Amino acid sequence: MFGDEELIKIHKSRGTQVANIIVGCFVIVLVRLWYLQIYKGELYHKFSIQNRLREETIWAPRGMIYSRNDQLLVDNIPRFDAVVTRQFLHDKEKTLKRLALILEMEVEEIEKIIKKNSFQARYRPIIIKKNIDLDEVAKIETENASLPGVSVETFISREYVDKEVGAHALGYISEISQAQLPKYRKRDKIDYKLGDFIGQFGLEQRMDKTLRGQNGFEFVEVDALGRKKKYINTDNLFKGIENNPPVPGHNLQLTIDRDLQTVAYEALGDRSGSVVAINVENGELLAMVSTPAFDPSQFSRGLTQNYWSSLINNEEEPLRDRSIQNHFPPGSTFKPFTAITALEEGIIEKNTKIRCHGSFKFGRRIYRSWKSFGTEKYDVTDALKHSCNIFFYKVAAEMDIDILAKYANMFGFGMKTGINLPREVSGLIPTKEWKLQRNGVPWQQGETLSCSIGQSYVLVSTLQLANAYAAIATKGKLYKPYLVKEVLDNQGNILRTTQPELIRQIELKDQTWDLIHQGLYKVANEPHGTAWWRRGLGNQMAGKSGTSQVVAAQSKEELYAKCSEKQYKNRHHGVFVAFAPFDNPKIAVAAFVEHGCGGSSAAAPVVEKVINTYMKKYEAETYEANVKKERAQLARIRKRAIEIRKKEEEEEEGQTTETEVEGNE
Amino acid sequence: MNFKKNLVDFIKKYDLSFLGSMYAIFFIGALNLYSATHAQTSSKLQPIFGSQLKWFVVANFVVLIVSLVGPKTLFRLSYWAYLGNVFLLVLVLLLGQKGMGAQRWLVLGGFRLQPSELMKISLALALSRYYARVHPEREMYLKDLIVPFIMTMIPTVLIIMQPDLGTGLLLILIFLVISFFKRLRWKSIGIIAIIGVISGLLMYNFGLKEYQKKRILTFMNPQADAKGSGYNAIQSQIAIGSGRFLGKGFKNSSQASLNYLPENHTDFVFSIFNEEHGFFGSVVLISLYLILFLRFVWLSGSVLRFYDSILVIGVMSIFFWHTFINMCMVMGLMPIVGLPLPFMSYGGSSLITFAICIGIATSLSNSRNLF
Repeated sequence: MFGDEELIKIHKSRGTQVANIIVGCFVIVLVRLWYLQIYKGELYHKFSIQNRLREETIWAPRGMIYSRNDQLLVDNIPRFDAVVTRQFLHDKEKTLKRLALILEMEVEEIEKIIKKNSFQARYRPIIIKKNIDLDEVAKIETENASLPGVSVETFISREYVDKEVGAHALGYISEISQAQLPKYRKRDKIDYKLGDFIGQFGLEQRMDKTLRGQNGFEFVEVDALGRKKKYINTDNLFKGIENNPPVPGHNLQLTIDRDLQTVAYEALGDRSGSVVAINVENGELLAMVSTPAFDPSQFSRGLTQNYWSSLINNEEEPLRDRSIQNHFPPGSTFKPFTAITALEEGIIEKNTKIRCHGSFKFGRRIYRSWKSFGTEKYDVTDALKHSCNIFFYKVAAEMDIDILAKYANMFGFGMKTGINLPREVSGLIPTKEWKLQRNGVPWQQGETLSCSIGQSYVLVSTLQLANAYAAIATKGKLYKPYLVKEVLDNQGNILRTTQPELIRQIELKDQTWDLIHQGLYKVANEPHGTAWWRRGLGNQMAGKSGTSQVVAAQSKEELYAKCSEKQYKNRHHGVFVAFAPFDNPKIAVAAFVEHGCGGSSAAAPVVEKVINTYMKKYEAETYEANVKKERAQLARIRKRAIEIRKKEEEEEEGQTTETEVEGNE
Repeated sequence: MNFKKNLVDFIKKYDLSFLGSMYAIFFIGALNLYSATHAQTSSKLQPIFGSQLKWFVVANFVVLIVSLVGPKTLFRLSYWAYLGNVFLLVLVLLLGQKGMGAQRWLVLGGFRLQPSELMKISLALALSRYYARVHPEREMYLKDLIVPFIMTMIPTVLIIMQPDLGTGLLLILIFLVISFFKRLRWKSIGIIAIIGVISGLLMYNFGLKEYQKKRILTFMNPQADAKGSGYNAIQSQIAIGSGRFLGKGFKNSSQASLNYLPENHTDFVFSIFNEEHGFFGSVVLISLYLILFLRFVWLSGSVLRFYDSILVIGVMSIFFWHTFINMCMVMGLMPIVGLPLPFMSYGGSSLITFAICIGIATSLSNSRNLF
């Protein structure tokens, strides 16, 4: 057995060998250092002083967006920035003076910008003026020699062809913010850098990964003044370094029809509101506009302070998408769903008739209708036609709110439609449990009455309305609405086609569907229907108007004043939803006009224009036939109608779908 | 009185040579780090220098504490440290924190632990104990390597799975040095060399991730990979070469200030040092490293127990391989595998690992005089 001492002794020679190897290794290191620093030192030194290799990013072109008819909606256009790179900025005073002259800026202004960016590395270009015109580009390029450190950088600006029209659905891109940087890097596993543009709103946000390509890069040799000298693959030292071309993003083809969208936008005019048009057969969105809107191009060009403050200081909130990010009481447009519930649950029959006269007293409250009717009795179709509140109050008195909610939910109310756009609201369909949880107070049957005509707690979005009416039109086919029809590569090859997604088939009695269809048809196609005068020739639309009350503190005088005389913020919202053509429904359109006073007066014309455009474009034959037929019909009833029209116009101005007044006992 | 006398005695016999080397190299390293990062005023890199100083304070305590652990305790703890560390490596794979595409850290209540760093030391401990106990007197044949080889491969495979090829291969190199010291026959060494080449080729073709292959390819031909490490390798060589004999001077590295070297505070500190201090500076720095390593080797011949002797060589090999590989990779002699340069590169984890090594060496050295 060996002792430790002996063991150490016999291993000493190996220790020495280890030491020798270590010394040998360091000799290799020193020889290599000598080779690099002494033998080749001059060459490397010269290179590091005189020449600089710069890696430049080549931005990948973002995918373009087309309408359903292959019209370009979103384009990429090159624009130019004037930049200064501090590393190469010599003769600062003279250079800046000349630059200020070209850009029509003050020298102090430029110096301020440079100072503000002095925290970043000296080799990084600082943007002095964004979006300069071609004249300025030419001047800077030709005077290159006398402007050391100044250069022009190209960037691709995202241009939205129709500007404000449909801006919310398309969205916008802008520079990634400091706060977003770590979050998005983690989420997308893409190494974003400050200055990168990403989709921040609408489709641009949701489809960002598809639209964004992959940036490439190239190596550029720059001289001591920051001018590009030549591409490095001509140089011996860097022979073989290859540049990496960018991969362009994928293009999108939308379901949007540009004509319908423009008509809808123009029909809203300078009023705030939204319009949604949907293909009832598959859920394709044909138009989706919200007003007031914004110009998305401004965001990618670099927002000016003025434009940004004009957006955020606007009380009408142009950045909010009123078609999906806004909900409101649907008013009478909700009545068909009350009627469906009543018919399905056996509260009323096909022939149940109720007198619409006067008012309906329930508990301590008196529920009134929006206009005084004669003593005639109405069945359910006529109740819809005249939008008779009393009919629905009486029905609702026997209705359980949870049952009503069940049917409303079937049509997609009270939940998100699932459209591929950010920040969609779900609206609200109240239930007993919901109220108990929220307010701690049990449900009052009186509230069911208000809900039955789309007031009280009931809230819907324009998109939900359009989609629910599309389901009525197709007798129960509720589709998930979508905007992106196809994803294409930049050669035009289809990569992905969105398949329509049937959320559910709503099963109701045939008779129920027929009665609701009839009722909605009468609204626009029979004299005295609330939208008779707005139906437009040849459209054959079936729909429902609604006027939703704005619940706000207002004086008693104002409460009973005519709508148009009220303060803007207290006026009623106008809503109208319709599908067409009645015989073979193709399109459903919902319009919401904020503080527009009347459903048929404010919103129905908007819907009519959209449907009319659709009919002329896609259903020309049916349309022509309808026009002929209706002209003949019209001649017969014209005489009678002229008289009624005058009366109705007057009444409608002052119409209120519902007025709640404390009963005087 | 007695206690006071003991304390004075202890301080008198305390071996300060290893700590002294650490101070000397760290001093140069800290100045270099300051120079490398001062130009990058982007707010993110500012605290690097301060952070490194804070870690150095911690490192001092680590050296002191480890140096108080006696060699006998180290011997007893060897296998436990190894087993515990392997367990931690398994945990890393199961629930480790991901960073930069790899899974290397365990988070223990806000404290981030990198078990692969500690594994280098644990392996040295375990191998030393094994070799000191199993036929310590014999020359070794290949079959004697089977058990220690398995002991090495378990953590190596776990680390390569993270994936961290650099550290994994480092464990094998540590194993080879220790086995060489334990009188592995020259013939066996020749066979291992042949097996090494063959298995290296096989691994390259079947076992490597795309980016790891790319790094090796890049090393073979830096011009092939335009963007990634080829670019770094070329820029690094420009930095070193442009230093010439005396260098550009403190804080004058243009390659660093222009951010041509993206990781100039971790992997590429040696390039910056060469650019600023030239060939002359490097000779000084390399001499310091050499003195430290030779001091280790000398210690291995003068300790009292064979276990201590092997352990000293093992700990030294950790230092040596880091130093040698880092230098080679920035000079374009090896692929870029991301090993730090001891006491020069930024990073708390590596600093603490090397501090533990210094502590162990000091403890073993002290034990010669205290008994």
